[in-house]
Amino acid sequence: MPRLMDAISVNFRIAFASILLAVLGGTLLTILRSFKIRALNVVIIVLISFIRGTPLLIQIFLFYYGLPALGLRLSPEVAGILALSLNSAVFVSEILRGSLPSIEDGQIEAATALGLSAGVIWGKIVLPQLFRKTLPMLINESTVVVKGTALLAVITVVETLRVAQQIGASTFRPFEPIIGAAILFLGLYVILTALGWAVERRHAQERR
Amino acid sequence: MKTGPALRATRLIRRFGELKAIDELYLEIPYGQVVSLVGPSGCGKSTLLRCLTHLDPPDEGFIEVGGESLGRALLPNGIVKHNSRRHTDRVRRKIGLVFQSLNLWPHLSVMDNICTAQCIALGRSRDAARAHALELLDRLRIGAIADAYPGQISGGQQQRVAIARAMAMNPEILLFDEPTSALDPELVGEVLRLLKELASSGMTMLVVTHELAFARDVADRLLFMDRGIILADGAPQDVITQTADRRVRDFFDKVTAFHPKFMAGTKPKEEHS
Amino acid sequence: MHRSVVKIMALDPTVILNYWPLLVDGAVLTLRLAAIAFVGGMLIGAICATLSLLNYWPVRMVILVYLALMRGIPFIVIVFLIHFGLPSFGIRTQALVTGTVALTLYAGAYYAEIIRAAVLALPRGQWESARVIGMPPIAAARHVIIPQIISPSVPPIVNCTMTMIKESSILSAITVAELTYQGLVIQGNTFAPFEVFISLALIYWAITIAFSLLAWAYERRFGTASGRTSRMSPIAARYLDIDGKSGR
Repeated sequence: MPRLMDAISVNFRIAFASILLAVLGGTLLTILRSFKIRALNVVIIVLISFIRGTPLLIQIFLFYYGLPALGLRLSPEVAGILALSLNSAVFVSEILRGSLPSIEDGQIEAATALGLSAGVIWGKIVLPQLFRKTLPMLINESTVVVKGTALLAVITVVETLRVAQQIGASTFRPFEPIIGAAILFLGLYVILTALGWAVERRHAQERR
Repeated sequence: MKTGPALRATRLIRRFGELKAIDELYLEIPYGQVVSLVGPSGCGKSTLLRCLTHLDPPDEGFIEVGGESLGRALLPNGIVKHNSRRHTDRVRRKIGLVFQSLNLWPHLSVMDNICTAQCIALGRSRDAARAHALELLDRLRIGAIADAYPGQISGGQQQRVAIARAMAMNPEILLFDEPTSALDPELVGEVLRLLKELASSGMTMLVVTHELAFARDVADRLLFMDRGIILADGAPQDVITQTADRRVRDFFDKVTAFHPKFMAGTKPKEEHS
Repeated sequence: MHRSVVKIMALDPTVILNYWPLLVDGAVLTLRLAAIAFVGGMLIGAICATLSLLNYWPVRMVILVYLALMRGIPFIVIVFLIHFGLPSFGIRTQALVTGTVALTLYAGAYYAEIIRAAVLALPRGQWESARVIGMPPIAAARHVIIPQIISPSVPPIVNCTMTMIKESSILSAITVAELTYQGLVIQGNTFAPFEVFISLALIYWAITIAFSLLAWAYERRFGTASGRTSRMSPIAARYLDIDGKSGR
């Protein structure tokens, strides 16, 4: 069990890095799409469709086993983080896009009439409200990322599931360590979900 | 006192498909003048304000604010020059627009609503912006709510915040889009008094309004607009009582039918108390 | 850089051409797994949703725990739990069976949430008015509630089923011979990972696109698609309208 406890921190760190990258990437995708450059949007839409339409496991395989065939060799951790964050960035961008229309257009007009530039309007008016509105959904997305880190066991990242399998192989009792791993993942999920609830409650109060 | 017009629009045209919402409109507002713009709904008043601020850029024509061209410029040699977006943003700051729906930013405090544009667009320091904002809030008598959020204050207070936000940029001219129409009746008088104070402080203003009381008592000049054209332009009392155009007559007859006291010359504020 | 160009030029289609029957077998099994998970999952989902809407707290607690387990534990861990757990209860069976059970249980939890949300979205008066005119509960459910929840639940159910198709790839970890597993077998024989995984991705992509086309056709036909249709000012649309739907 102590070994599993050590390993869950690996999952946590990988998930944390991936979520940060995903929010960054997802925001970037959203802003890029708002420019409405035809060719660029076609590329982005195809990318989104591809990521949403294929299993995360296959995306992880592509990053870890596929990229070396193109001459780019990544460590399992880096390949895993890249695969998870690209996958999640697409979902983050879809979440943000879904909430954009909830911002009143008059607010943009007011900012434009005051002579604020596009960058300022994104940074000061649109994004702060967007993140606030979507925070519960973004937290939910982060639980998906945390669960996704378990898949990195298949590309030899020494995380909780991998360690549980190793313990099972050396003790010939595979079931018990898997239960331990499940409990740890469940714990992370419960913490994140509770956080999500707290955020949502605070929002409900603010809206009055 | 600055010389030259605060705002000049030359041959403005804005089309929506076949319809000309603004039809070859000329307008010049000198510094210090308070102009009220009336007309039936759908006559192009709001479109005009949106054109003047380039929220809805006109299809043709030229706009000058404090001597600087907004959007398009007509050079002396007759060539039309298109200014950059950055230039447009810069000149826009010289026009303050108070929206009908106010459009405060709900995620920012009153103070930040007023300071954001000052700091970013005018490059003022945080402290200078705060000091300026506090001065304005005090002048509008809402100094106490600087740290509240727009959702926590009353409609009348929100209106003042929106005015303060526009004034904070030290605009050459303030445009108001029906400042009283979104308000509860008991607040109308309050806002009209506020506009009157601003007017007497020398602020240049263009006010789209349905309040003939304001047009008559506060404004120096009354414009009547219909179908994208200014039909009457002059001293308020003259336009209301002596205009020859039948459409203008019809409008004022209809409006005054609902305001018997107005024609009798009674102070109309009492209607709202 | 030079090497990578050479490698791309060396993409070897024969890898796939030689092994395509395996991929077809795998894809067929993937679809069958998804079909079983759909039917079984909908059954579990409907039962759980109904039970959790009854105000009987022990049952609700049990269902809550089941939903939390399925949503909180990564699917790959659930698969291993069932795969290694069943034998320790004395049940010895094939990987295919444990995999199907895992996928169905997993799907059931998600379908339950969808159905529950759809029922709760109905105005309370719908149920009460049916009961007050004397309909027994089953008739009220059948004639009043169920017809109204079908249309709004179709898009999330299609979405969820696509998720199950994608998640079924994880069953390769316990040697269920579905699409991903077959891909791994081919990769073991050919050592051409890029070709293999790209082909797998394209096949999954084709399957999910076919599904989303179905959902799209349904939405068009029954008009459940919603969205902001009102006109937005062009200035605001520059920021807020990504798909360019609001134009004048």
